[in-house]
Amino acid sequence: MNTQPHPAEAAAATFVLDGRSIPFTPGQTVMQAATAAGVYVPHLCHHAEFEPVGNCKVCSMQLDTSAGPRMVTACTLPAREGLVLHSETPAVQHDRQRLVQMLFVEGNHHCPFCEKSGACHLQAVAYHVGMVDTHFVHAYPPQSVDASHPDVWLDRNRCILCELCVRASREIDGKNVFAVGGRGAHTTLLVNSASGLLKDSAVAATDRALSICPVGALMPKRQGFAMPIGARPYDHADIAERPADT
Amino acid sequence: MSLMFPTAPASPSPRLRIATCSLAGCFGCHMSLLDIDETLADLVDLITFDRSPFTDVKALSEDGIDIGLIEGGLCNEENVEVLRAFRARCRVLVAVGACAMYGGVPALRNGIPVAELMQTAYLADGLHDPQLPRDPELPPLLDKVLPVHEVVPVDLTLPGCPPPADAFRALVLAEIARRTPDIATELPLHARRFD
Amino acid sequence: MPHPLETASQPDGLRRVVIDPVSRVEGHGKVTLLLDEHRRVQQARLHIVEFRGFERFIQGRPYWEVPTLVQRLCGICPVSHLLAASKACDAFVIGHARITPTAEKLRRLLHAAQVLQSNALHFFHLASPDLLFGFDDAVPHRNVMGVLQDHRELGLQGIRLRKYGQEVIRLLTGKRIHGTGSVPGGFNKPLSAADRDLMRADIGQVTDWCAQTVDLARDLFVKHLPEHGTFADFPSMFMSLVRPDGAADLYDGALRVTDAAGNLVVDQVDVRGYDALIGEAVKPWTYMKFPFLRAHGPDTGWYRVGPLARINNATFLDTPRAEAARQAFKAWGDGRPVTASLAQHWARMIDTLHCAETIAHLLDDPALLGTDLMATGTPLREGVGVIEAPRGTLIHHYRIGEDDLITHANLIVSTTHNNTAMNEAVRQVAAQYFDGRELTEGLLNRIEVAIRAYDPCLSCATHALGKMPMRLELRHADGALQDVLLKHEDGNLERPELIQ
Repeated sequence: MNTQPHPAEAAAATFVLDGRSIPFTPGQTVMQAATAAGVYVPHLCHHAEFEPVGNCKVCSMQLDTSAGPRMVTACTLPAREGLVLHSETPAVQHDRQRLVQMLFVEGNHHCPFCEKSGACHLQAVAYHVGMVDTHFVHAYPPQSVDASHPDVWLDRNRCILCELCVRASREIDGKNVFAVGGRGAHTTLLVNSASGLLKDSAVAATDRALSICPVGALMPKRQGFAMPIGARPYDHADIAERPADT
Repeated sequence: MSLMFPTAPASPSPRLRIATCSLAGCFGCHMSLLDIDETLADLVDLITFDRSPFTDVKALSEDGIDIGLIEGGLCNEENVEVLRAFRARCRVLVAVGACAMYGGVPALRNGIPVAELMQTAYLADGLHDPQLPRDPELPPLLDKVLPVHEVVPVDLTLPGCPPPADAFRALVLAEIARRTPDIATELPLHARRFD
Repeated sequence: MPHPLETASQPDGLRRVVIDPVSRVEGHGKVTLLLDEHRRVQQARLHIVEFRGFERFIQGRPYWEVPTLVQRLCGICPVSHLLAASKACDAFVIGHARITPTAEKLRRLLHAAQVLQSNALHFFHLASPDLLFGFDDAVPHRNVMGVLQDHRELGLQGIRLRKYGQEVIRLLTGKRIHGTGSVPGGFNKPLSAADRDLMRADIGQVTDWCAQTVDLARDLFVKHLPEHGTFADFPSMFMSLVRPDGAADLYDGALRVTDAAGNLVVDQVDVRGYDALIGEAVKPWTYMKFPFLRAHGPDTGWYRVGPLARINNATFLDTPRAEAARQAFKAWGDGRPVTASLAQHWARMIDTLHCAETIAHLLDDPALLGTDLMATGTPLREGVGVIEAPRGTLIHHYRIGEDDLITHANLIVSTTHNNTAMNEAVRQVAAQYFDGRELTEGLLNRIEVAIRAYDPCLSCATHALGKMPMRLELRHADGALQDVLLKHEDGNLERPELIQ
């Protein structure tokens, strides 16, 4: 018996997201199908070019099940016929807001003088989910800056451990410069070189690992504040209108 | 109802009493409040500034305050006292700006021991009579600069460094209409940005 | 030798009067007075009670971040810090080379707009209630809302002057307060013809308002001469930036110092040598240091900065209406430097008129619309940037390591230069008004009026001195309470019965 769905049936397969019918093809995640349908789902560690890792949880949404609602991550959940999901609801946005607020208090995110401000995905997602305060107690973790490389600098104060640079360096740049190590509050972004410093690594300012960084952690040097306020991507547009991974 | 253009109260209500202070802030938030420009003149008969850097009023009104605007985080023990007095007297306490929200630029000192900060400033080479200031008149510094919400409950937060004038205008006009606004849903994006 | 009244010879048993706190950018401050049992002032001090540690905590940050970061020192004149830091950090991009002509014109426009708005704030929103209503006016009325109530058009004129400056800043930096715009090596955004035309539409009106306000400030000073002319009037040296031809320059130039008789003390000192010219002394009772000319030593080497210093020091101003106003000011002082603290407001409005004319001149310059905004050169690892901020000379000095991160920072802000002068003003007012007299709210306000003449950052402009209820206590030498004076928010003084 042929188990492959008929093309017409496959095209007709849908799930429901915020009351809207979203078509998908088998093998797609909810995130992929929603994105293809032009529906924005907040996310930070997800990127279309890479396998999902599901570690930021910002794409969490509510799935209706016979046992009641439960939270699922859209980036890892395979799309299935008949799923009923809720994303842009006050309750879900509230949960996401708490997740984003945790990211803020676990790092040292100084938007006022960060050169990525206005183009930062963390900040833009925070705006999207309605964050206006940080809610939790701030950890102010001591973090290091690595500016040893002539053209690249790393500010661990701003790193959200999304691992996009890890994946981009390995899979696109072919260099494997970054890794995440340590445990709990001491988890940190490591540089793969004998000294642990960028200057002894294979990193270059043109690496995808830099341009993919959603925050101001991994940046080319000496270019700060080149983009005037008002011309930055999220000065006037919500991230839903200008999604991050394009 | 629009936050930016709230309906005026049907009957003249008592003046809105506003108190403001800057703790470990730069007064940029206070300047942004003045950036409401001519609206300030329109408010002459609608609001009263109680204790504030803009007035000579020295103590919070005994009768209570409608809105207390707190600029800055807390960097010394005196800041804590002032903030607690505001919380006790103010109906709506507003954490105003990045420093009140999360400590702001002054919180950059949080990873550095206070003794080391003081050494850099007062024991550096080339200073005449280098010494660490120490006097009963100088309030003790806190180990860390703290955001407002970690010391007292906060009713509203206006993010931004500073929050733009539109945020202050919207807040004051809504409160004149005796309505406390929902900042996240009612303010336009530019008026609730973090920088 | 310490200044008279700086330190009481026998502080025990003196009655402590405190005005607390004085708020300010570099810190919050308060004034303490020690009076003996005959109410004679034995000690008067302005304490800066807040410490932030900028010079240490920006170490380890990249230099390109510094201008945007350090402008958060002050929300009242952030552009001054943005520009002083940009000028210092230019060296890390272009070394000794100059930024492009368009970038320099844009920075000059930005700075003139900033001084204009900040001076307008200082005069109208903060100081004018004292000048219009008198030092003894009722507390609930003695503020900007009182000005708007009684003199609506005048108050609106102040609001609109400040608004104009703020709008020019917004168009250039993206925000009214704490924008970007100026970056190490140049400027990040060209000015469009449309935005230039917006600025141009109102500059004629703004200039006229400034000229009217010069007259108002002069008239208020001259009208109250018996008091204002002698109020905190003391000789001092004056420091400011001047061009090679001696004209005042807010954005650039070299350091000039004159003495109270108007003689040159030093002239055309390269700002990179500021460290050889100026030392700083530390005193244990305040977080603010005391700068002095090294050649004169810490006791007599102090000086004043700000509008009064700029107008006293300038050989001339390079715009016609401001120059005419400067000459009138000079003529009033018989050609000698004017030393009365309250003449600072008159000088401030001349300064403001100069800014308005400078803006008009720049807006007529086609090069302002150029698009060549970033220069190139051979980078250095040390830079000094000096500028005339609204309240006076502002010095930023940085060094960076091989990795482009800040290794050393020294900032001498306008308020700090004026530290000794403000303390002198406080001592003089206390000695003149308080000695032997019953304390009143109006007398205490005079202390604030003196500080307000220098720095609304510190006095938090109007009226921040004493944001808390004032409680004055007189104690016997053994510490027993002898007398208590309470000051309420309405300004009323109360002497509660002492519990025996």
